[in-house]
Amino acid sequence: MLFESEAHKEGQVAISVRKLNLIYKTTVQKKPTFRQALTRTGRKIRTVNALTDLNLEIPYGSVLGVIGANGAGKSSLMRVVAGIVPPTAGRVEVYGQVSTLLSLGVGFNSRLTGRENVILGGLAAGLTKSEIEDQFSAIADFADIGEAIDSPMKTYSAGMYSRLAFAVAVVVEPDVLIVDEALSTGDAKFKKKSLEKIKTLRGENRAIILVSHALATIKEICNDVIWLDKGKIVMRGNPDEVVAAYKESLQVAKSSSADEDL
Amino acid sequence: MGKVQIYEPFKGGLPPVIPYFSDVWRRREFISAYSRSELRAQNFGSFFGQLWLILNPLILAFVYYLLITVIGGDTGSERFAHLTAGLFLFYFITNSMMAGSKSITSGGKLVLNSAFPRLILPISATVISFFKFLPTFFILGFMHLILGLPIGPELFYLFPVLLASIIFALGTAIITSILNVYFRDTKNFLPYFTRAWLYLSPVLYTAEQLKPALKPISYLNPLYTFIGSWTDILIKGVAPTVANFVTMFSWAIVLLLIAVFMFMRREREFALRI
Repeated sequence: MLFESEAHKEGQVAISVRKLNLIYKTTVQKKPTFRQALTRTGRKIRTVNALTDLNLEIPYGSVLGVIGANGAGKSSLMRVVAGIVPPTAGRVEVYGQVSTLLSLGVGFNSRLTGRENVILGGLAAGLTKSEIEDQFSAIADFADIGEAIDSPMKTYSAGMYSRLAFAVAVVVEPDVLIVDEALSTGDAKFKKKSLEKIKTLRGENRAIILVSHALATIKEICNDVIWLDKGKIVMRGNPDEVVAAYKESLQVAKSSSADEDL
Repeated sequence: MGKVQIYEPFKGGLPPVIPYFSDVWRRREFISAYSRSELRAQNFGSFFGQLWLILNPLILAFVYYLLITVIGGDTGSERFAHLTAGLFLFYFITNSMMAGSKSITSGGKLVLNSAFPRLILPISATVISFFKFLPTFFILGFMHLILGLPIGPELFYLFPVLLASIIFALGTAIITSILNVYFRDTKNFLPYFTRAWLYLSPVLYTAEQLKPALKPISYLNPLYTFIGSWTDILIKGVAPTVANFVTMFSWAIVLLLIAVFMFMRREREFALRI
């Protein structure tokens, strides 16, 4: 029994989301200030129903693609599943260790070096220092950014940022891997490499969630797709069918531009 | 089934308290690693590098030596010693406030992308300020010997005063960290607030020199007791009274409890506010 806790069988539930609601209030003004708080001018409270009564079960062994227009609730769903934002109502159960790659979590402090950011990101995520140090050379190798790993991250290009972030997320080999839009930066070579990496991870007893606007990538590596719109699941099922329906709704079926990027 | 993580709405606005603090405790390696990296980064690229940790208070002490002894012509050593010792402790507390105010907002990417108890960010800010405060002990010790200040068992009372100051500094850092998420102007107001606080505290003058009419300040201003006790031990060799300790620890602990409570109630919103 003891050893079974580490292994997951295909088909076993990895993530269970029940009646999930996420509502938050935000002032329209981006940076709230004392003056506006006192005078109450130029201040509008906007209620965002990010997710509404969402039910979702993700079994181990699946690679779930999440598609939908901007503002459909994709990132909100990922943040709730990762435990970053608590739900307003409902329940999320995650069976296993989650690694997130949400809009590039690594590099939170650009004055620190890549190495320091990787270590701090891992420590914040709950890993121990020895666990991170064991994996560090593999991360540095995969990111392949050379000596830049010991330079402050403010000197990095966008591509170097995403290489490092991606390396951290995949090398740690989590039970549940969430990749949010991270594959859209980086050069063609690295995109190919990361796609290959996701494919190798796919074969193991793991659940992967891939959020992307790159429909061709979704079709290529996912075996299950959900289409989100306004915080609700519009459709779920076979990647080809869901992507086709989504494209139709966007009326981009004839244009191949959406297929080009990863 | 391995470990199961369950995410539900917080009951009564607070996350479950015991798991929360065990989570904070598990992140202690983050706190120490972050503090060290941050201290290194702050002086990265400067000629003296890490030496600035000791140079900063040393130069500050020298500037006040210039003001009081050279320009002011005060040949007595007491006033200079009082001011330096008081100032170092004062700056430890206000530096924690300043660093705390930026801790959540500047940790934006981490807050948006990782699940962890946010409390470790203002705690790190306080630890960083404490590491900047530590080298002042060498300067104070050196000054103590040169100026021939009293040495005796009373000096051990510095430790409980320091402990109360750390708890108090942490409380202020946590409160300013929350404030700055909601009012980004906090960090702009703070320098003026701390400057006024400096003048209201017995740093530039001694507690006894305060006009009787202004005496109520000493009851309203917590730093009055902290700095007064600190400099009394160092300069006069006088131990703080029991009442002094009760005042200091009451301020420190009550402030910390209020700060942590406010923080835990609010932190779920931080990811949405950054």
